Amino acid sequence: MNLLVHGGLFLLASAIIVLISCFFAESDDRRAFRIYPKRLLRFLGGCGLVVAIMLVIEHTFASIH
Amino acid sequence: MAATDTSPSPSKGTQPRTGDPTIAALLTWLVPGAGHVYLGRVPFAIAAFVVVEGLYVLGIVLSKGMLFEYLPPEMRSRFAPALAPEAGNLGGILYHVRTYGYGYGFPRPWPAQMDLGTTLTAASGLLNMLLMSRAHFDARVVERQPGKPIGPALAAGANLILPGLGQILQGRRVRGLVIMVCLLSLFALACLISDGANLDRERHFYYWAGQFLLGLPAMIAEFVNGHPLMTEMPELVDGGIVLGSVAGMLNILTMLDAYGYSEALHLGEDPPGSKDEATTQKGVHA
Repeated sequence: MNLLVHGGLFLLASAIIVLISCFFAESDDRRAFRIYPKRLLRFLGGCGLVVAIMLVIEHTFASIH
Repeated sequence: MAATDTSPSPSKGTQPRTGDPTIAALLTWLVPGAGHVYLGRVPFAIAAFVVVEGLYVLGIVLSKGMLFEYLPPEMRSRFAPALAPEAGNLGGILYHVRTYGYGYGFPRPWPAQMDLGTTLTAASGLLNMLLMSRAHFDARVVERQPGKPIGPALAAGANLILPGLGQILQGRRVRGLVIMVCLLSLFALACLISDGANLDRERHFYYWAGQFLLGLPAMIAEFVNGHPLMTEMPELVDGGIVLGSVAGMLNILTMLDAYGYSEALHLGEDPPGSKDEATTQKGVHA
């Protein structure tokens, strides 16, 4: 449950971060909305990659087992 | 912000003149209004000095200069105050640190108006940053052409009153409304999941600064329900602090967007991010 809540909050924050960055990158609203899905996917993919690397490092070097 | 020729250009008017934008901005950072004195705009400079420094002095009086005593002993390094919004008013914060520093080395009760006082000093820092951006712009543009949208610094500053307001005043209503809904919703959710405990500067000195960048909505929320008495922190308080800080920092991005758009129109350039002239012209006349 806790993981779901945190995941939901992360998705919401990500969606808004990427939308505002699209607005910042494009002065035209329609173009900003058009590039939004691709940028969001790339952002989430990048975050997923960072999570995977962190988990591998934690499991390898910081595990208490 | 749009790239511009920063070389000094000859004066067009009798009093106001162009100058080096970097010097104008740096002078303003050190002493509010000094950049405009450099540009020959003395009445504006005096008004700016009185407002910005007046806010800082009033803040110090109300908080008795105890702002940096909020920091726990292990965080009281020489440069710790530099990360506070007050650093936008360099002269003010240098005086503050030099005169009051970290107090007398033992805990004291906070003054009754501590929160208001520290909010005013922070507001002075933010206001001076806007003044710096205004000085940077005024150093390049002496006479504004009629029919252009509001000035860049004003457009950016409007987003401190309400996120997205600057874009709405520029005629970009859809963008402004989307920004407003997104950032206010994110901030409201942050306050909700942390029961308002995310907004206390004593509890979260630096995260408070991040959330404060949302402007007036954050100030109002803090004074309405920013200092709840509680025996233990809510479970999601960390999430609330992060989301609130994200909302505040994203508002800086929207302020830069508003600044860059107005700046480009005033300088006769394409707005940042525009790919072709046709799209640009559509945006200008929207």
